[in-house]
Amino acid sequence: MDWLVTFLQVVFSGLAAGSVYALIALAMVIIYRTTEVLNFAQGDMAMLCANVGLAFLVTGALPFPLAVAAALAFAALLGACAEFFFLRRAKEPTVLSLIIITLGLEMIVFGFASWKWGGEPRDFPIPLSPADVLVVGGVIMGHLELATIGIAGLIIAALFFFLARSKAGLAMRSTQQNRAAARLMGIRVRRVEMGAWSLAAMIGCIAGLLVGPAATVEPYMMWDPMMKGFAAAVLGGITSLPGAALGGAIIGIVENLFGFYVSTAFKSVVPFAVILLMLAIKPSGLLARHYVKKV
Amino acid sequence: MLKQTLKIGALAAALCATALPAGAQQLSGVTDTEIHIAAWSPQTGPAAPWGAVARGTAMLFQMVNDAGGINGRKIVFHSFDDQYNPAKTVAGIKELVEKEPGIFGVASGVGTSSGLAVKDYLMERGIPWVGPAAGSLHWITPPQKALFAMYPLYADEAKLLTRYLVEKEGKKKIAIFYASDEYGENGHRGAVAEMEKLGIKPVAEVPVNQADRDLKSHLLKLKESGADAVLMWVNPTHAVITLKTAAALQFAPQWAVSSTLSDAALMNNISGGLWKNILFASFGELPDANTPEVKKYRDAFSKYAQQGERWGVFFMAGIGFVEPMVEGLKRAGRNLTRENFIKAMETIKDFKGIMGRVSYGPNERQGQREIFLARTDDSGVKVTQLTPWTTVK
Repeated sequence: MDWLVTFLQVVFSGLAAGSVYALIALAMVIIYRTTEVLNFAQGDMAMLCANVGLAFLVTGALPFPLAVAAALAFAALLGACAEFFFLRRAKEPTVLSLIIITLGLEMIVFGFASWKWGGEPRDFPIPLSPADVLVVGGVIMGHLELATIGIAGLIIAALFFFLARSKAGLAMRSTQQNRAAARLMGIRVRRVEMGAWSLAAMIGCIAGLLVGPAATVEPYMMWDPMMKGFAAAVLGGITSLPGAALGGAIIGIVENLFGFYVSTAFKSVVPFAVILLMLAIKPSGLLARHYVKKV
Repeated sequence: MLKQTLKIGALAAALCATALPAGAQQLSGVTDTEIHIAAWSPQTGPAAPWGAVARGTAMLFQMVNDAGGINGRKIVFHSFDDQYNPAKTVAGIKELVEKEPGIFGVASGVGTSSGLAVKDYLMERGIPWVGPAAGSLHWITPPQKALFAMYPLYADEAKLLTRYLVEKEGKKKIAIFYASDEYGENGHRGAVAEMEKLGIKPVAEVPVNQADRDLKSHLLKLKESGADAVLMWVNPTHAVITLKTAAALQFAPQWAVSSTLSDAALMNNISGGLWKNILFASFGELPDANTPEVKKYRDAFSKYAQQGERWGVFFMAGIGFVEPMVEGLKRAGRNLTRENFIKAMETIKDFKGIMGRVSYGPNERQGQREIFLARTDDSGVKVTQLTPWTTVK
């Protein structure tokens, strides 16, 4: 049964990687669902938050939980500021020009982090050692990986209930589907949009705080997770939260299976092959309900 | 009609753009008072720790200038960040070569792929290039008149590491983990060749892409192979992720790594203290060595280096790779032409700075062949030299 243990090990490792992709995908979906903007700065905003968390932890000598809380607070502010100072300033924007604004934002954030902390990788110390593991039936599960999967799962569940059942969630969907009508119904659309950006930045921040300790903190740290997260969002159907979560898990697992059983050299292209396949077979994505609107 | 005119216009513009530099006279990069020298390096990006090389070179040139320059000229050093991206290397070098006053030569320059991207461009113009900071076979196959390689070959360090693992440590199941670029391939091929000589086969050969951040499937493959030792030619970030992922998979082989990962203090710091008991190849004296040359630069470092800079292996490499160039410039005399400089470089024999011994000749373009092996202890920082300077045959 050795092969089964190995297979489960690869799936578990893939799920851990996929959890991070799922978080990035969720963050992108939240912004997309509300404003129809694809936020390409999502990854680097997360990188900035991880850097800020590290600064609180090391330079500021805050205890770990406080540093995380401080990073999350910063993320909320960062998201709100990004929406208020960049997106909202656009005059009669098309969706495309808003997306280009997010690309500009990405460059600013990346440039700022490179200038402030330099390009060299740095260690992100956490209270867990990489050698702390739990072994179940031969499958070795690192505590950090378990934490990653657990945290991602909790956030996905919480978000799902919050956005599906609460008025705020409804307001977000209304804003996306018909901004003018939502406004006439008394929804403060600008505030909703700002809230969506804040929430997304906080989720991205958590992804950054999970990626940092597993590797190093540096300006490029979120590029790969960001691309995979975007792939996951597209796979899940870009408007669907469960779709994004599922997409992240699928991409993480498929990529790891491919890397282990076929080729590590071509592992990185797998997510994009999956997207191409998806777009060819079911363009609306795995779980998105297809509807036609806005003429 | 308009479209067509535009097309023709664009075509004409493109033709002019390509025709101009060839038609213009080539710039020498030397004036009465200055010698202009260029270098690229990653100051940001996944290979950023290697960027210290260019800062070391800058300090060496500063020291030379403060001591009165070379034959009445001061060195002007044009160092730019290419982020380990060959496209940016090409753009940066072309701009420097083709804009007044041009450059006389290139000092070091980090990365095999980056260097390869500009090698032909520089060689076609006869622009001297000394000490590429990458141990690739490409610099010397075939030898180029104006290219003086320094960095001992990755293939040679691969041989030395492999032989040590097999003969001194009794390892029989050796895996190779390498970047899927020229750097990784050079090490990979050298290790495979040496294993063939020793009558064994690698138990796994796993390539990794520069952009990957999730190396779990790579490490699972290495672990599945049952390797008791793993040879590595990867970038510093990947080395850190490798050790962390390996720890989480309870995989603890003897790691044997390239000289590119020989900065133990840096690696231990960014890996959160995991850089323990690592066998590595070294191309230069250790940072705490007490040879007169190392002492000289270490003392100068406290005077010249910017705040936040660290006296480490890569910073030293930037000095060591370029010392022979300074020597060549001195020997070329006041009448400095590229031709004279190349002839002067060819007279350098057994030159000893802070690297191994360096020799060039009319048919010799690989200046340094000596390397040694060392190992970190359980603290991850303290380094012990295991072999003397060795030339791989």
